[in-house]
Amino acid sequence: MKSIKKEFFTDQEIVKKIKEGDKDAFCFIVDRYQKGLINFIFHMIGHYEESLELCQEAFLKVYSNIDLYDRNYKFSTWIYKIASNLTIDHLRKNNPRIDSLDELNEDDEKKIDVKSEELDPIEKLEKKFVGQEIADAIISLEPHNRELIILRHIHFRSYEEIAKITNLPLGTIKNRIFRARKELVEKLRKGEMKQNRSVKRIDKMEIKK
Amino acid sequence: MICKKVVELLPRFIENDFSEEEYNDILKHLETCKRCKKEYESMKALVDKLEAIPLINVPPSFKDAVMKNIKKGKNGR
Repeated sequence: MKSIKKEFFTDQEIVKKIKEGDKDAFCFIVDRYQKGLINFIFHMIGHYEESLELCQEAFLKVYSNIDLYDRNYKFSTWIYKIASNLTIDHLRKNNPRIDSLDELNEDDEKKIDVKSEELDPIEKLEKKFVGQEIADAIISLEPHNRELIILRHIHFRSYEEIAKITNLPLGTIKNRIFRARKELVEKLRKGEMKQNRSVKRIDKMEIKK
Repeated sequence: MICKKVVELLPRFIENDFSEEEYNDILKHLETCKRCKKEYESMKALVDKLEAIPLINVPPSFKDAVMKNIKKGKNGR
């Protein structure tokens, strides 16, 4: 097994091996999906350590439910669906007042916002990294819309695949993504205005000196 | 093409999902309408930013940790 390169196996072939009892074959699945899933979960919850734990949980769930995998679906869709369910459950648990995440109001959204200090791993990329502003804007979206934006624009999933992952109708997904994009543009615009005001204030202070 | 129709089509336009006829009509409109052009530019800038967002790295020990738990039988199989 170890002498054969993983690139030679399709997802379906690896799944077949696991179903036949080859536990080691699962490392090919982890190899292939770890970066995607960790990033998906991280952008959903905004906390690095927790996203690693959740991702670990997702992989264990994938492994233990592998017999339930229906090969008529793309494996990537199935694995993202499992990660998505776990992540939404996690957000719900951390915000028990929310019965339906769809009905979040602005106050609720603020409660599940991440604090900037929780974005350590991203900050490690660069002190004030280029995507910080957009990452903050994404995390302030309502969780279901956040998920759609992440799947579509960070993970480049097709609308059809997103529909299978989230169990939502295609039309609803498109509408929500279009609305969420508008919301993001607004948030970024407001952020820029705020930043410009701060810069002007600093400039004035320097002039006064 | 009127602004209302252009604004309706812009989300698809941003994702390169349009017919040739729609493409020409929208382009023509954007050349003359400053408001729609601004709307298009901010939407396009957003999508570019989203698609360029840096990805976080996976810790080298992550895969081993998952496999260790699987071998321990923490998964019910």
